[in-house]
Amino acid sequence: MIVTYIITAVIVLISLLIQSHPSFDVIRIAGVKPDLIFIIVVYVGYSFGSFNGQITGFVGGLFHDAASNSPYGFLALPKLTVGFIVGMIGRSVLKSNVPTIILLLFVSTLLKGIITLFLSYIFTQGMLSSIIHVIIPESFYNALLAPPLFFLFDKIFHGELEREGYL
Amino acid sequence: MEFFERHKSIATFISFTLFCIISLSVQGSGFTLSLEGIMSAIIMPFQKGYNGLHGGTSRLWAGFSELDRVRSELELTRSKLQTFESADVEFSEIKKENDRLRALLGMKEMLKYDSIPATVISKDPDNWFRTLIINRGENDGIKVNMPVVAYQVAQNGEVKELVKAVVGKIIEVRGSISKIQPLIAPEIKIGVKIGENRFPGLLSGYTYNSNLCVANYITRAAPIKFGDTIITSGQAGVFPPGLIIGTVVKSELLETSPYQRAIIKPFIDYNLLEDVFVIKKAPDKDLFDLFEEIK
Repeated sequence: MIVTYIITAVIVLISLLIQSHPSFDVIRIAGVKPDLIFIIVVYVGYSFGSFNGQITGFVGGLFHDAASNSPYGFLALPKLTVGFIVGMIGRSVLKSNVPTIILLLFVSTLLKGIITLFLSYIFTQGMLSSIIHVIIPESFYNALLAPPLFFLFDKIFHGELEREGYL
Repeated sequence: MEFFERHKSIATFISFTLFCIISLSVQGSGFTLSLEGIMSAIIMPFQKGYNGLHGGTSRLWAGFSELDRVRSELELTRSKLQTFESADVEFSEIKKENDRLRALLGMKEMLKYDSIPATVISKDPDNWFRTLIINRGENDGIKVNMPVVAYQVAQNGEVKELVKAVVGKIIEVRGSISKIQPLIAPEIKIGVKIGENRFPGLLSGYTYNSNLCVANYITRAAPIKFGDTIITSGQAGVFPPGLIIGTVVKSELLETSPYQRAIIKPFIDYNLLEDVFVIKKAPDKDLFDLFEEIK
């Protein structure tokens, strides 16, 4: 399992670097860009269960918070919650095919967005317009990007998935 | 112990959730700042390294396009030189007149500030908070609440010129990096004036992912029209007065408010922003404290 943690940490770090670099702005559509770290969190939850999903969500979210102007814990809490919930469903319930992955990421991102909006009303400056301007476009974007990334992660984690009996 | 072992997933989830909620509740405290500092210190070398690697690769492959850029910059510099030469005489006359009027009014000499050039190494890692991180920090003399500006080419009739405009302000400083809150962030508050008629307002970002700003609390008597320039008022003590912010794209009269508001397009194109200058100006303490109180 330690190999899984190391690989996950490296992928999260690379994703954070790519996602926060100014050059990544070129792939903005409708003002939003995909949340690569979140896609990894959903993948880990989906493939390795809720414990690993929430750990990835928590640690990845805290790093994401450190690189952002958000209050500490603001981006971590939605990620760890979704990582936990997706992990409870996992591969045993949802079969790994393109429509399922697209739907999974769409619903997960919607859930993450709703939790974030709720937190923003409590701790920062909540705006209902974020549903239209951030949550829905990001859900579409993450959902469309998920199948190729899941395919790539399946290749990277193939050995771990087999060893842990998830395949 | 066995109970926790059996329910470790739920126990971990509850612990992490509590941690996040406590951290959010005490935001800005020493505890969260030091934790964030540790996380930031871990990713900072990677951010700088990635930025350097990306920059090096881009420069390596940009040989021919660079030549074109240098050529166009040369043309731009030539045209600017012509403009400056013709304007030089006019400027010296205006300066003399300005000095004379200032002396008459007994105003203080306008302060000039040094600035620190910096490069943007990180931009908006998420879709909710507008964030810029630059490669200069405490070691370079940067402090919290210093204003940040950038230069942008503007078309003035036939001539292109470089204009200095506001980017945002420093909100967090570490050893060799600093975080900027850009003026398109909904959380920022900047005292502004409408350039043409000097009516004051309070500027903040419009929505989470738009590149527009909104100036609130402008009196209904103020005539605002499309294209009016918005400048800093200097009233909050952070920004020097007279820095360009942007232009009005729309004004709105709200039935429920005794004020009107203006939607503003910032002069700086946030998507193209690469290099910035941090103005070495500490906030005017009395004004700053007063503004923080009423905010």
